[in-house]
Amino acid sequence: MKTTTLQKTVSLLTLLLCASAYAMEPAKDPADATQAATKPAPLPTEAPFDLTDPEHIALGKKRFNAYCAAYCHGNEGSGGKTPAFKGRTDMTQAMLFKVITEGRVGSDVMPSWHAFTEEKRWELVAYIMDLGRQPANK
Amino acid sequence: MKKHKVKQTLKIVSAAVALGLTMQGAAYAGSGPGYEDPNNWPQFHRTYNAWHFSPLSQITKANVKKLKVAWIHQPGNITMGQQSFPIVIDGVLYYISANNNVWAVDAATGKTIWHYETKLDPVANEVFYKAASRGVTVGRGKVFVGTLDGRFLALDQKTGKEVWSTQLTDMKKEFGALFSAPPQLAGNVLFGGTTGGDQPIIGKIFAVDADTGKRVWTMEIPKNDPKSWPSEKARSEGGGTAWWPGTYDPTTDTIYIGTSNAAPDYYPDERKGDNLYTATLLALNPKDGSIKWHRQEVPHDAWDYDSVYETLLIPINGKDTIVHLNKNGFVYVMDKDNGKLQNVWQYTENQNFTSGIDPKTGEIHNPNYPEVGKQKLFCPNLLGTRSWNPGAYNPNTKLWYSTGMEVCNTVTGAKQEKVETINGLALGLSEITLVDPPGKKGDGWLGAFDPATGKVKWKIRFDLPPISAVLTTETGLVFMGDFRGSVHAYDGDNGKELWNFNTGSGIRGGIVSYAVNGKQYIVVPSGLGSHVPGFLSGKFPEIKTLPGGSSIIAFTLE
Repeated sequence: MKTTTLQKTVSLLTLLLCASAYAMEPAKDPADATQAATKPAPLPTEAPFDLTDPEHIALGKKRFNAYCAAYCHGNEGSGGKTPAFKGRTDMTQAMLFKVITEGRVGSDVMPSWHAFTEEKRWELVAYIMDLGRQPANK
Repeated sequence: MKKHKVKQTLKIVSAAVALGLTMQGAAYAGSGPGYEDPNNWPQFHRTYNAWHFSPLSQITKANVKKLKVAWIHQPGNITMGQQSFPIVIDGVLYYISANNNVWAVDAATGKTIWHYETKLDPVANEVFYKAASRGVTVGRGKVFVGTLDGRFLALDQKTGKEVWSTQLTDMKKEFGALFSAPPQLAGNVLFGGTTGGDQPIIGKIFAVDADTGKRVWTMEIPKNDPKSWPSEKARSEGGGTAWWPGTYDPTTDTIYIGTSNAAPDYYPDERKGDNLYTATLLALNPKDGSIKWHRQEVPHDAWDYDSVYETLLIPINGKDTIVHLNKNGFVYVMDKDNGKLQNVWQYTENQNFTSGIDPKTGEIHNPNYPEVGKQKLFCPNLLGTRSWNPGAYNPNTKLWYSTGMEVCNTVTGAKQEKVETINGLALGLSEITLVDPPGKKGDGWLGAFDPATGKVKWKIRFDLPPISAVLTTETGLVFMGDFRGSVHAYDGDNGKELWNFNTGSGIRGGIVSYAVNGKQYIVVPSGLGSHVPGFLSGKFPEIKTLPGGSSIIAFTLE
């Protein structure tokens, strides 16, 4: 059957509206779909930037000193109930990101820092891995 | 009656009296506050004068080495250790374990009578002060809890069933302000304050009707006065919470409660003023929370020097007098009815934040303030000269037994930026590192002091600063637990160790004593916890290896 001009216009407008609506939606986090199901989204295992970049390390250090050091991990990660951070060869970026995101509950408590954006958490990872590359305190 | 017959009769009568008293588990000389209700431990410090003194005398210096374990109660959850100050009334012991699990236990056998598992709002998982509480309060047929999700909660004393629950804080808006210690009773008023002295909130003391849970009054601690705070922003982020239990003197109907440091801790630049009523000992009216008098120990605090610790009432020159330790390492001796200072004496061995405190006015001379961008040394450290673990006063030796830690910290001050998360703190620093006091090795001690003058009778050193409460008894015994988990009994006259027992995990809570069916018990909460171990491990790395735990251990002679 022949399509009238009106029908074509309506189709085009509908297409345009849908396209613009799609464009206006905020980019969907692929994790959203899995959050709708009860299974938590798998955590990223690789940083979105170069973890050895001094700027990211500096931002991580500032945040570490404000939120992590005083009562728990100590200056440069020497304190807390974990082994000191300097000279550590066992810390992977994936493991650090996971612990920072989820926290820990055992005989002691590490708060979960999921309220920080992923980028801010990766900055903390950058600083801690930088500490790990430094020689251990005697 | 002939003389020798009178003598004989008197001998028989006094023997009978002594026997009768001994059978109650009590043979005590004194009377009045401190001696009341000798078989029980009915409130946090046992009596309202905060003595941590038991009048029981079955356990003596001669037989204490025979103490053995009578029973152990284990709640099963060890997060944050065991910080309870148990309450014991008529043969039932009440305490709390991780995540506000409340226990009523047979005090003679350790058998569970009832267990209440508090259903906590999920926000309790997001906060800085997770899992731990220092006990419950028992009275008026109820067991009262300050919860980790910001409520006062009342349970039926016999059954453990919930009677009422009142939400007091909006934790999401108040950086997780919650109760980490039990609210206290002042007649029919239940009162207490929250955590958060180091967070950008306005500290408050809450009071509810103990029988119904209905709010009675709420007091904001930072004063609404431009002399105290330069702006409403500074005041509303000034901290000043009252996170440790206060006490209630029924003879004058007065609540004594101390307040925390001001926030941001080491960055006072944007809160010029005296910052009332932070770092202050308050005397309040229970009916409406109005202030009878106050003594601000640290105006414009910049070192985290809280005034929350126990308000001791000790007879000095024949009059009950307040003896009050501030985290700054000084003891303030003052009139209990108006806060007038009688003396201020130095408790800490090492301090550098002042050239001296005037003993009559309390003035802090030449305060040494933190500076932005500059690393400076401060003694005492952020935890204070001693943590919240109370000491004990013995009315026979007239000595106050209390612990101390000699550890300093360097601090580099920093402008406090917006705290981004509910579990963040506003410490106002970019660096803090625990260090030894100048020229010495950091350590801790248990000391015996004249409470009025601070004269030291004896002191024992510990390589790891003790963080346990102290108990003293009628027979001159002093009980205290160490960081690795041993409980010790000392001769209160000279500090000689008479007994110790390794409980397996550090001791943090309240050591208490009570009697059931004529038998005296010493009960020790065992299980390392609180934020102190993590903080101190920077200086004492052995702490990293020490295990957690949670158990209540009862000792008797037989």
